[in-house]
Amino acid sequence: MYLLYLSIGLLVGVLVGLMGIGGGVLLVPAMVYILGMDQHVAQGTSLFLQLPPLGLGALLMYRKKGQVDLRAGAICALGILLGGYVGSKVAIGTASRDLHELFGLFLIVAAALMWLKPESRQSPGEPR
Amino acid sequence: MNSRYRPLLIFLMAAIVGAASGLFGVGGGVLLVPLLVVAFGFDQHVAQGTSLVALVPPTGLLAFLNYASAGKVDWTVGWWIMPGVFLGGAAGAHFAEELSSHSLRRIITTIVFAIGVWEASRALR
Repeated sequence: MYLLYLSIGLLVGVLVGLMGIGGGVLLVPAMVYILGMDQHVAQGTSLFLQLPPLGLGALLMYRKKGQVDLRAGAICALGILLGGYVGSKVAIGTASRDLHELFGLFLIVAAALMWLKPESRQSPGEPR
Repeated sequence: MNSRYRPLLIFLMAAIVGAASGLFGVGGGVLLVPLLVVAFGFDQHVAQGTSLVALVPPTGLLAFLNYASAGKVDWTVGWWIMPGVFLGGAAGAHFAEELSSHSLRRIITTIVFAIGVWEASRALR
């Protein structure tokens, strides 16, 4: 069983580095379907295991290539911290089944956003 | 969107991303990356690198505490998944260097869309 947990982590990790995301998007469905967890518990566990800087190894690779905007990243971190408080309060008051459905819609919206073409090109180092 | 209000706009965008992140137990990168690209004109690779910066501090902490106090955390599974994500992450970042921004976008979009449709359809049954 523990080997299964490790393999899920490893597989999700590869996608984390590849996509520059935290991994929750893949972890939550993996825990629900492969480990049979409740949607709320999967989400809480996903948040728990993302507390340590798991993306640090990936980040260092991006940093080496100068593909990082530290200031924008720091601002985003603060926003996510505060927004996360509000979102989690809502989630805990929502039924697992509804949450599951919303999670699917959320992913479709995220995918649609990614499909959009960038409106302009600008390197992060430019003066603003 | 290139003005002195840009940091403020990025902050507001991140706060909305954070709300989704707490709501769905995800890190937020999945929204952050496309929004940085589409709304703020970041290059795909730079958006991904910047998103990882935002995910290094425990940004999900407040959300996590709410789940933990509601008893919605499986600690054992959490601890065991952690090392894999860390190691896999470094490997994945290495592969990302080999791919063009365009291919990266295509891969991510396909994976997320597929999971989204799968989740939504399961819930509707």
